[in-house]
Amino acid sequence: MTDVILEKVGKTYPNGYHAIPSVDLSIEEGEFIVLVGPSGCGKSTLLRMVAGLESISTGELRIRGERMNEKEPAERDIAMVFQNYALYPHMSVYDNMAYGLKNRGMAKNLIEEKVSDVAAMLGLTELLQRKPRQLSGGQRQRVAMGRAMVRDPKVFLFDEPLSNLDAKLRVQMRVEIRQLQRKLGTTTLYVTHDQVEAMTLADRLVVLNKGKAEQIGTPMDLYNKPATPFVAAFIGSPSMNLIDANLTEQGIKISEALTLPLSHQHRGGIVWGIRPEHLEVSDEHNADFALRILAVESLGAETLIHGKVETELGNGDPMVVRLSGPHLPDVNSLMWLTAPVLHWHLFDAKTQQRLRD
Amino acid sequence: MIENRPWLTFASHATLLMGIALVALPVWMALVASTHPASAFGAGHIPLWFGDAGAETWGTVLFEKAGNGVDTPVWFMMLNSLIMALGITFGKIAISLLSAYAIVFFRFPFRNLCFWIIFMTLMLPVEVRIVPTYEVVANLDLLNSYTGLTLPLIASATATFLFRQCFLSIPGELVEAARMDGAGPWRFFFDILLPLSRTNIAALFVILFIYGWNQYLWPLLITTDDAYYTLVMSIKRMLSVTDGDIAWNQIMATTLLAMLPPVAVVIGMQKLFVKGLVDSEK
Ligand SMILES: Nc1ncnc2c1ncn2[C@@H]1O[C@H](COP(=O)(O)OP(=O)(O)OP(=O)(O)O)[C@@H](O)[C@H]1O
Ligand SMILES: [Mg+2]
Repeated sequence: MTDVILEKVGKTYPNGYHAIPSVDLSIEEGEFIVLVGPSGCGKSTLLRMVAGLESISTGELRIRGERMNEKEPAERDIAMVFQNYALYPHMSVYDNMAYGLKNRGMAKNLIEEKVSDVAAMLGLTELLQRKPRQLSGGQRQRVAMGRAMVRDPKVFLFDEPLSNLDAKLRVQMRVEIRQLQRKLGTTTLYVTHDQVEAMTLADRLVVLNKGKAEQIGTPMDLYNKPATPFVAAFIGSPSMNLIDANLTEQGIKISEALTLPLSHQHRGGIVWGIRPEHLEVSDEHNADFALRILAVESLGAETLIHGKVETELGNGDPMVVRLSGPHLPDVNSLMWLTAPVLHWHLFDAKTQQRLRD
Repeated sequence: MIENRPWLTFASHATLLMGIALVALPVWMALVASTHPASAFGAGHIPLWFGDAGAETWGTVLFEKAGNGVDTPVWFMMLNSLIMALGITFGKIAISLLSAYAIVFFRFPFRNLCFWIIFMTLMLPVEVRIVPTYEVVANLDLLNSYTGLTLPLIASATATFLFRQCFLSIPGELVEAARMDGAGPWRFFFDILLPLSRTNIAALFVILFIYGWNQYLWPLLITTDDAYYTLVMSIKRMLSVTDGDIAWNQIMATTLLAMLPPVAVVIGMQKLFVKGLVDSEK
């Protein structure tokens, strides 16, 4: 069953700034959708429109078939976790969680039951009488989630909830959020600019660029078949090598001196892409091209090699290679590489759309 | 800076002690004077130690009549002063909380204009607008009443401004969280805003109480009935007796009594007061 539908939803701020032209998205019940994109692309704006904290300029938002555009946030049956948690500083953990239920006029004993259930689920039982300032960052984060969970809403909204935590805790909370969401089966809309978080959490990802949904799909869809160079560069770390090239009869002409053979009916300017992990080291005779090494980053389990494509005419486009295990090539030496056709990504330079293989 | 120089410690302590003595001396003299008979002070020499007329003077002043032409006892005027001071304080706090709430959290036309108009009233204290205000109060038939004593004084630009600053420092996410939790305007005001401005309210309470208690010109103007005389204005009236000697002992006792409630408020609310001025836990 479709739970949340955004139909041509757009936002123009009062100052005339056109933050979101038009977004179409339908979310299935229980689905975990992650909105991802660079800073300022309109992720928060979109989320806040769903929450009702920002008015919807054009289009329609429906939750369970019901039009929500004019409804107050509290009437939409949604709960939101804020980036800075937004806990009420003068209320205990218990009151923070109970406040929304009290305002709904729920019976006292029922509130108590719900809060203690959720507190037990989140490991907050011991902390119920504390004030937010007496909690660690991770605990505050949990309380903020608990406050959303007790309401038992139709939809959870998260706006970069983990960005204030340290790296280790972030990973831990990420796993926890995923587990809880699975267990509760609540439809979730989650905003982040961290693509690892996005890939690991999402059932489906929405990549936003300047207020436009560039691509909507499962993490693997986006990884394997990015629709635009923007998505290709955004998903995956380190990001895909993207090089402006020309498609000719001989193949992909990367520079005057380097053409990779390919038969394709398309002609003209393209963007050629290959992920760092798909480049393979080979010997001089079988290689497609050589790389002049500029820097080596050894991370133990893998090695990232930064370099420039070397041709007779000098150094060309920058490129990153990712090799598993430790490698210690000399900086400034040459490295011979093959780029398997299977892993090529071609985009039309003009329309920025993916070309059919 | 931690230094261990004995003479410096000595010098700074000496300076501080001198400061205390300087401030406390007049109070001490007032206390001493109130225990001597009326004639002692006027005779030219100032006594520095207690006399033996203390109990009698204080008893008379407090419970019978303040003397020097003022026939009401101090406790009664104290009550009037208290009603006026508390009325002004609570009125000021309530009205400025509400106006700051409107200005900060509601979008209405001419919002900024409203704020600046309120702000401009800073330039119009009672003393400046006393004649027109008197006329308004007289026309409303509020002379010689508690309403007349307090109402014209409770609008406060300063307090509005302070609360506005306090409200502006409340993070927007908190307001939004409350909205999502279904808190309407009133709930938000009472459940979130008031508790968060608790310390600011306490600090203002102290300042405004003293302001209200010390009102002199306004009560002098609009009360002609003994029943509404306040303590501070009465002290002035006690000084302007035309016939006979001024009973300094009674005046001193009354003055000291007039100091007590503000002192009590300051001491009682010291902790909150300092907290309100220094930190903001948000
Ligand atoms: N109240 C506003 N008035 C005008 N423009 C706004 C307003 N709020 C946001 N914007 C603009 O809308 C765009 C999208 O903002 P938004 O907050 O949605 O970005 P975001 O994707 O959440 O970024 P971040 O990752 O930095 O949080 C930005 O360019 C921002 O400047
Ligand atoms: Mg944002």
